[in-house]
Amino acid sequence: MTGAHSARAKSRAANRLLVQVGRRGGPWVLLLAVNALLVAAVETALPAVLGRAIDAILELDDPGRWLIWLALLVSTLMLGDVLEDVGIGAATARSTAWLRHTSLRHMLSVRLGSAERFPPGDLATRLVSNTAEAGSVGPDVVGGVAALVPAIGGTVALFLIDPWLGLTFVAGAPVLLFLLWAFAKDASELTENYLETQGVIAGRLGRAIAGARTIAAAGTTSRETGRVLAPLPELHRHGTGMWHAQTRITTQDLLLMSLLEVAVLAVAGLQLSRGLISAGDLLAASAYVALAATFSSAISTVTELVRNRASATRVGDLLSLPPVDYGTAGLPSDGGRIELRDVTVRAGGRLLMNHVSVVVPARALVAVVGRSGAGKSLFARLAGRLVDPDDGEVLLDGVPLRSLDRRTLRSAIGYGFERPALFGGTLAEAISFGTTVPVDDEVAVAARAAHADDFIRRMPDGYQTRLADAPMSGGEVQRVGLARTFAHASRVLVLDDVAASLDTVTEHEISRALTGAMSDRTRLLVAHRASTAARADSVIWLDEGRVRAYAPHHELWLDPAYRALFDPVAAPADPPPVLVEIGAAP
Amino acid sequence: MTPSSERTAARDVLVGSVRSRKSAFRRLAGWSVLEALPALLSGLLVAAALDDGFLVGDLQTGFRWLGAFGLSVVVGAWGTRQTLRQLAEVVEPFRDELVTGVVTGALRRSTEPGASPATADAARLTQQVEIVREAYAAVLMVVQQFVVVSVAALIGLLTLEPIVLVIVAPPFLVAVAVFTAALRRMADQQRAFILADEQLSEAATGIGAGLRDVVAGGGEDRVAEVVGRHIDAQAAATRSLGRLTAVGSVAVSIGTWLPLVLVLAAGSWLLERGATTGVIVGTVTYLLQGLQPALQTLVQGLSGPGLWLMVTLRRVVGAIGAAAEPGAADVDDAERGDREPSLQMRDVTFAYSAWAAPVVQDLALDVPPGDHLAIVGPSGVGKSTLAGLMTGLLVPQTGTVTLGGGGLTGLSAYALARHRVLIPQEAYVFAGTLLENLAYLREDVPRPTLDAAVDRLGARQLVDRIGGYDADLDPFLLSAGERQLITLVRAYVSSASLVILDEATCHLDPSAEAIVEAAFGERPGTLIVIAHRISSALRARRIMVMNGTSVEVGTDAELRATSPLYGDLVGHWQAEIKVAATR
Repeated sequence: MTGAHSARAKSRAANRLLVQVGRRGGPWVLLLAVNALLVAAVETALPAVLGRAIDAILELDDPGRWLIWLALLVSTLMLGDVLEDVGIGAATARSTAWLRHTSLRHMLSVRLGSAERFPPGDLATRLVSNTAEAGSVGPDVVGGVAALVPAIGGTVALFLIDPWLGLTFVAGAPVLLFLLWAFAKDASELTENYLETQGVIAGRLGRAIAGARTIAAAGTTSRETGRVLAPLPELHRHGTGMWHAQTRITTQDLLLMSLLEVAVLAVAGLQLSRGLISAGDLLAASAYVALAATFSSAISTVTELVRNRASATRVGDLLSLPPVDYGTAGLPSDGGRIELRDVTVRAGGRLLMNHVSVVVPARALVAVVGRSGAGKSLFARLAGRLVDPDDGEVLLDGVPLRSLDRRTLRSAIGYGFERPALFGGTLAEAISFGTTVPVDDEVAVAARAAHADDFIRRMPDGYQTRLADAPMSGGEVQRVGLARTFAHASRVLVLDDVAASLDTVTEHEISRALTGAMSDRTRLLVAHRASTAARADSVIWLDEGRVRAYAPHHELWLDPAYRALFDPVAAPADPPPVLVEIGAAP
Repeated sequence: MTPSSERTAARDVLVGSVRSRKSAFRRLAGWSVLEALPALLSGLLVAAALDDGFLVGDLQTGFRWLGAFGLSVVVGAWGTRQTLRQLAEVVEPFRDELVTGVVTGALRRSTEPGASPATADAARLTQQVEIVREAYAAVLMVVQQFVVVSVAALIGLLTLEPIVLVIVAPPFLVAVAVFTAALRRMADQQRAFILADEQLSEAATGIGAGLRDVVAGGGEDRVAEVVGRHIDAQAAATRSLGRLTAVGSVAVSIGTWLPLVLVLAAGSWLLERGATTGVIVGTVTYLLQGLQPALQTLVQGLSGPGLWLMVTLRRVVGAIGAAAEPGAADVDDAERGDREPSLQMRDVTFAYSAWAAPVVQDLALDVPPGDHLAIVGPSGVGKSTLAGLMTGLLVPQTGTVTLGGGGLTGLSAYALARHRVLIPQEAYVFAGTLLENLAYLREDVPRPTLDAAVDRLGARQLVDRIGGYDADLDPFLLSAGERQLITLVRAYVSSASLVILDEATCHLDPSAEAIVEAAFGERPGTLIVIAHRISSALRARRIMVMNGTSVEVGTDAELRATSPLYGDLVGHWQAEIKVAATR
C-alpha cells in the first residue's frame, strides 16, 4: 500500500469509528438533534415575534395574542437549553465511556509485542485524552449543524424584513471573516514562541529534578532555581505580545460588529421614516444582526470536528492491532514438559530464533545462558506464549500453547521478572493478582517461599498495607513479584535471574525454595551468574538464535567461550575447583 | 496539604494577586468605565433616534443620534482595547509569581535531605500554571465585562424609564444568585472529574508500563474491572456537570427572558403612563443587547474557565507547598579552614522509615586521608544510601558521621560542598556553556588547571568535538557516557579533597573508566568509588562488600577467601557440585 493509500484508508477507518462512537451516545444523540433544530428554529423566529408583539403593543392591537406566542417560544427556548446541557453531558459520557472500555479491553487482548511498541505515556494519552476528544463527536456535529440555522436564518430574515438591510449586512460580513482568518495566522507564531519558551523552562526544571542529588550535594539549589527561571522575562514578553495581538483582534471584531449594527439600524431607520417597515421590525432587525453574526462560530465547529477526527485516528491505531487467538483446549492432569519444535522467529530480516528444537523435561530446573542479544529473553517469552513463533510450535505436555485456553495457559505457566510491575491496592492483592484468586493462606505460603513474608509483616498494616504507602527497594519488589508467581504458576516457572540483586542470605533462601518447595514444577531460569547455572540440572546455551549446547554446567565449563559468558574480566583458564558447597541443604 | 488549607491558600493567592497590583486594577476599572459607554447609551440614543428622528420623518436628527451612537461605539472600543492591554499587565506578573513559586518549591523538595527521587512532574506543573494563567485572564475579563455592562444597562434603564427597573432588577438578581449557588457544586463536580481523569491516566500509564506482567499473569479481567471503575466514575462526573450546567442555563433565562416578557406584558400600561415608542424599543434594546449577553457571558465564563481556575489553582498552590524555612545557620562562613579528607562512621544505623528494615546497622567505618576505597554489593543493597549518609544528604537515626574530625550537621550544603563532592550516576549536565558545566563546583578555576584536568581524564576529544569551552551545550545531543565524563572533570577540578563516585563511570567503556579512575587515584585527597564493574574494585586499595546490613572490608585477595558474595560478584565459580560418579 502506498503512503497516500494507507492514509486514506486510515481516515476512512477514523470516520467509521466516529460514526460508531456517535451512535453509542444512545437515544440522547437523536434527542439532541431534534432539540437543537427546534431551538434553532425558535431562536430564528423569536425576533420576528418580538417585533410583532411590540407593534401590537404600540398599535394597541390585541397584544395578548403575540405575548402568549412570545411566552411560549421563550419557555421552549428555556427547556431546550436545559435539555441541551443535560443531553450533551449524557451523550458525551456514554460515548466516551464506551470508547474507553472498548479500547482498554482491546489493548489487553492484543499481541504483547505490538502493544509494547507504544511508550506507556503515549498509550495513556490515547486511552484517556484522545477517547475524550473523540467521544464528543455526536454533540459536536449536532451543535455545529444546528448553529448554522440561526446564522443563515438571521441573514434571510434581514432580507425578508427589507432587502436593503440584508445587503448592508452581507457587505460587511466578509471583512469580519477575513479578520478572523488573519488573526489565526498572526497568533500562531506568537503562541509558538510562547510555548517554546515555556518548554525550555519545563525542560530545565525536569533536568534539574532528575539531577537533584548532584544539586543537593553541591548545595547549589538557589543557583539552579535562578537558572531554571532565567527564561521567565522572555516568557513574559511573549505572553504580553500574545495578549496585545488578541486585544487587537477583539477590538477590531467588536468595532466592526457594532458599526455593522449601527449601519443596519441607520438603514432600518431610513426605511422606518419612509413607512416601509415598523418600529417592531427595526428592533427585530437589530436582534437579527446579532444572530446572523454567529456564523463565525461555524469556524470553531470545523476545528472541533478536525480535532475529533485526529483523535479518532489515534484511538483507531490501537483498535486496529490484531488480537491474540486463544484456543479452548485443556491440559493433561500432570506434567510440565516444555517442547520447542523447530521454532523460528524473524524480525526485520534477521532470524532471532533459528529452527530451535529443545525439550525441557517436566519438573526440571534448567538454566538458559548466552551473551546479550543471543535470544535468552525471547526464549523465555516463547516458553510461556508471551510471543508467538513465526514458524514451528511450542508445546506444553504435548498440547500446543496456541490451542490452550487463556486461563489454563496463564495459570499453568508463570513468570518472575527482574523488575516486576505490581498491580492491586494492597500487598495481598498484588500477590493474588492473576487468573485465579488464591486464598489467604496460599498468599502467605507463597510470600514465605519468596522470602517476602518477613518484611511484609514488618509493615504498618502487614499484608493489607496499600502499595502506595509501602516504599520498597528493588529487591523487595522483586520478591513480592516472585511471591505472586509462586502463588499462581502451577506447572512451569520462567524466571529472570532474580537472585542477581539480592544479598546472599536472601538469595540462598530463594534458591532453596526453587530447589525445594517449588521442585514439583518445571523451572526455567534465565541465568547471568555462574552459580545460578551451576545449580541447574542442565543448561541451554543460546548463541545467535541457535542452541549451541544443552548440557550440565560442569561439562560446559570446560569451554573457555562458556566461561567468558560469566566473567566480565578476563579470567584465568584454571580448571574449575571441585567444591562441595558447605552449609546448604541439597 | 489538606483540602481546606489548599482552598484557603488558593483564595489567599487570588486575593494577594489583586492587592499587590492595586494600581493596575484601578486603571483597569477606570478604562472599564469608558468601555461601558455604548452599553450605557445604546438604549437612550436609539430611543432618541426613533422618537425625535425617524418616527417624525426627521432623517437628519435620526442619523445624528445614530451617529452619536456610532461614536460611542468607537470610544467604547478604545476603552475595550485599553482594558485588555491593562489585563496583560495583571495576568503576566501573576503567572510569573506562580512559575517562580512552583519551580522554587519543586527544587527545594527534591533537594531536601531524605527526599525521594523525582517526585515532581515538571511538564504537568507548567501545564497547570498555563491553565491557571488563561483561566485567570478569562475570569477577569468576564467578571469585568459583566459588571460594566450590567451596571451600565441598569443605569440606562433607570434614565430611560425608572419604573422598568422594578420589573427587571429582581429576576435578574435572583438569576445571578441562583447561578452563584450552583457554581460551588459545579466546582466540586469539576474537581471530581479532574481527579478521576488523573487516576485514569495514572492507571493507564501503569498498565502501559506493566502490560507484560498483566498478560503473563492473566490478570486482564482484574485490570479491566479496576480501570473500568475509573472510566465509569468520570462518566458519572460528566453527566453531573451537564445537569449542573443546565441550572446555569435556567438562571440565564430567568434573568433575561422573564424580564422581557414582563416588560412587554406591562407594555400597554407603560404607554398609558406616557412612555414613547422609543422608550419601549430602548428598554428592549437594553435587555437584549445589554443584560442578556452580559449574563450569558458570565455564566459561560464562570462555568468554564472559572471552574478550571478554582480547581487547578488549588493543585498549583499545593505544588508550591509551605513557605520555605530559613536555611540552616551559616556557621560555616566563619569556618574558612580546610578539613583533612578523612571519613569516620560510628554506630551508624539508618532506615528509610520506622517499619522498614535498616539499610545499615551499627556501621563503623574508617577511611583515612589518601585512601582509595571501593564499595561493592548486590543492587538494591544500599550503596547509594551509604553514599548519601557519607555526604550528609541523609541523616542516620543513630550514630555519627564525621569528615576530617568535624560533624556534618550545622553546615550549609554549600559549605559542605567545599569539603566533599558526590558525583551520582545520573550525570547532571545543563544547557549552558561547557565552561559553566565544568566549573560548576569551582567557578574560578584557573584555565591551566582545567586544561590539565581535561587532558588527564581523557576528555580532550570530547571538548574539541563540542567546540571548546565557550560552546553551548545541548544535553540531549550528548551520550550518557559523554555527560558522565563532563561531570567527572567537574568533580576533578573542584576544591573538595574527598571525592565519592556513585557508579559515576557506568556509561564509560572499561578503558575510559580505567583512565578516569587512575587520574582520580593520583589526585591528592581521598577517593571512594561505588563500583559498577568489578574492575573498579580491583583498582582500589581496599574493598568494602555490603551484604545486607553486614559489611566486610579488606583487599581483593582477602575477600576472595572470606566472602562468598564477593566471590560471586567477581564471577568466580562456586558450585553445589554433586561429587558424583560423573567425574
